[in-house]
Amino acid sequence: MYQNRILSVGATFPAFTKQAVVSLEKGKEFTDLTSEDHKINDQWMVMFWWPKDFTFVCPTEIAEFNKNYDEFRDRDAMLIGASTDSEFVHLAWRQNHDDLRGLRFPMLADTSKSLAEELGILEANEKVAYRVTYIVDPQGIIRWVSLNDLSVGRNVAEVLRVLDALQTDELCPCNWKKGEETIAV
Amino acid sequence: MLTATQETKFDLLRDLGLSEDSNFQALEKLTDTESRYLRDLRVNLKTALAGETLSAKEAYLLALAAAANEENDVLSKAFEEKALDNGADLSEVSEAIACASLLATNNILYRFRHYANKDVYEQLPARVKMNIMLKPVLGREFFELMSLAISAINGCERCITSHENSVLHLGTTEPRIFEAIRVAAVVVGLSKVVR
Repeated sequence: MYQNRILSVGATFPAFTKQAVVSLEKGKEFTDLTSEDHKINDQWMVMFWWPKDFTFVCPTEIAEFNKNYDEFRDRDAMLIGASTDSEFVHLAWRQNHDDLRGLRFPMLADTSKSLAEELGILEANEKVAYRVTYIVDPQGIIRWVSLNDLSVGRNVAEVLRVLDALQTDELCPCNWKKGEETIAV
Repeated sequence: MLTATQETKFDLLRDLGLSEDSNFQALEKLTDTESRYLRDLRVNLKTALAGETLSAKEAYLLALAAAANEENDVLSKAFEEKALDNGADLSEVSEAIACASLLATNNILYRFRHYANKDVYEQLPARVKMNIMLKPVLGREFFELMSLAISAINGCERCITSHENSVLHLGTTEPRIFEAIRVAAVVVGLSKVVR
């Protein structure tokens, strides 16, 4: 019996160094992405996975994340899209599809599938990633994960709602109520 | 290549329908120093304007009243445009400005009575006409809600207590009241940076 064990809330997000597509401009297409990047900038990381490039549900969903790029940026979150396709497939897809040319976030290439494997998000038969979304805090700890089966699209507003809920607001001492500890920021 | 802070500045200006070439001193300072506050400010504005119990038109009219109270012509014009785009008509826009003006007067008057705490001032006639309160084009509930928001900005305890009471009697819920106050609060904060 096949058992899927997904890396979940409270776990440290696995260390990785992967190629990613960040631009269509010649010579500037690729960059290295690592699990340290967001931590260095004291940012959160939102990483969303899809099964395969050049399929139908994906571009809609990816375009929706892209439309909300500014919302993630303003919440100090680094947005990363990922699949097990190679960086060259990512690039070809971006060049090929109207909705993907203007992407503002990196497309990570987990070509060896090592990251997806470690996360436990590979579908058994095809060995492609489920539609998984991770929210990782600036310390590198997984704080939220959602998993949809291959054909089920995601709701980006819900991801933002969760991110807002995870990021404490009301740090102001004005919100201090009798009997509470003082706020340590 | 723009920095994240520069991107946020341009997005904020675009949200407000203002030109990317606009030059607001405090905004430029925050941008030049890569202040992460700019991102908080933009998220707060978007959140406040997207209240669940306020229509877009209501949110922009409240923002307009707050901007008028702050004597901020740039923001008043921006929120007026947004209110009109979201279904407000000119009489409603002008009533939001009138409400801010009248409440600025009332807030001083009633705050004085409260602070001075003497019977004689309670008995002396106010001699301030407030006829627009009787049959506002925005409806009594919303006019009261707007009055409450302006009173919260100007810090008049008696005005807050009485308008909060009356707006609840007109059928408003506390979450709607708090959302209106949030719009006022965030617009006043914004007004320190965009003016």
